Amino acid sequence: MDKKKGIKVLLVDDEVDFVDTLAQRLRMRELLVDTVYDGEQALSFIKKVEPDVIVLDLKMPGLHGIEVFREIKSLSPQIQVIILTGHGTEKDEEEARRLGGFDFLRKPADIDLLVAKIREAYWEKIERVMTAAAFAEGGDFDTAQRIMRKEE
Amino acid sequence: MTMNYEEDEILRISHLKFIGKALSVFTHELNNHLAVLKESAGLLEDTLRFQQAGTGYDLDGSLNIIQSIENQIFKATRLCKNFNGFGHRMDNPLSAFSVNEALEELLALLIRPASQKKVGFEKDFQKDIPLAYNDPSRLQFLIFCLIEESLKSIENGSIILKTEYSEGLITIRISREGDFTETEKKDICSHNIAGRVAEQLGGSIYEETEGEGVNIMLPLSVTGEASNPELY
Repeated sequence: MDKKKGIKVLLVDDEVDFVDTLAQRLRMRELLVDTVYDGEQALSFIKKVEPDVIVLDLKMPGLHGIEVFREIKSLSPQIQVIILTGHGTEKDEEEARRLGGFDFLRKPADIDLLVAKIREAYWEKIERVMTAAAFAEGGDFDTAQRIMRKEE
Repeated sequence: MTMNYEEDEILRISHLKFIGKALSVFTHELNNHLAVLKESAGLLEDTLRFQQAGTGYDLDGSLNIIQSIENQIFKATRLCKNFNGFGHRMDNPLSAFSVNEALEELLALLIRPASQKKVGFEKDFQKDIPLAYNDPSRLQFLIFCLIEESLKSIENGSIILKTEYSEGLITIRISREGDFTETEKKDICSHNIAGRVAEQLGGSIYEETEGEGVNIMLPLSVTGEASNPELY
């Protein structure tokens, strides 16, 4: 488990050159970045290490990004997902937003915009966790406990 | 061969879809190359800015990034050259062409859709095949139809393309290996367009053994005449 402090980001994209270069740039901006190259690897990864934010491509070998997104939300609903794709359709965008996607960006994206979105997504996640914790004191203890445990 | 209006229209629409899909794959690939170039250029800029800020001078790191940019430009150029060749196949309905090269061009456009189903391509091309005098674009369309049909019913496998020349005939064989996802090993010859296009090429198409593969027999004119000139 990564004990370093910082926003944990998982990049999921089958374009190895793209994702490795982007990862270097994000690390230079003090984000804790891991990379995987398809949806199945992403799902295995988050069962071991839970990122705060996932930057997810749609068209990948095997599982389509939207299927991966659904699985992520069922495994860890609090993880924030940003779609970063070159070729998402309007239907994909609509579905991603319906599933609770934080944002839908097109490749190539401006690095400052992407970093800003990652940070916003992270703070929204923290806000949700805090809200859930506060809510727990008022009643729905089980739900908040579950969320807090995941957060730890 | 005569075709009624409806069949002709289906064929025309299918051909347009083929070109549309080829364009879509090309733009997808090109956009990916541009995205990598943008990130690589950005990484170089980041590196230089960090160096200016006093984190040390990393000449090798910067040179590596420049090298990766050059590699990416090379890949993008190869993609454009391939697609340019593909486009020019349509310039003339009949020309002398290398069947292997026409197949290579097509495969470059099919690698991505196939990889999304975890299907790869294996090529077993006979090297000394003489030039065919026929319609290369129509042949690419035919092979595209058959491969697309194959991809509907397999995943986690491979599609094997083999070319052979013997006694004035070029044979292109498409076979499949992998996990069959639909009605077992679906007969890819059942594609209603493929048989028509094969006829237009003056060739024929048949299933080798049930579901195992498909052979396309393409007559080769060594005299420089069209294999089936009455069609044109």
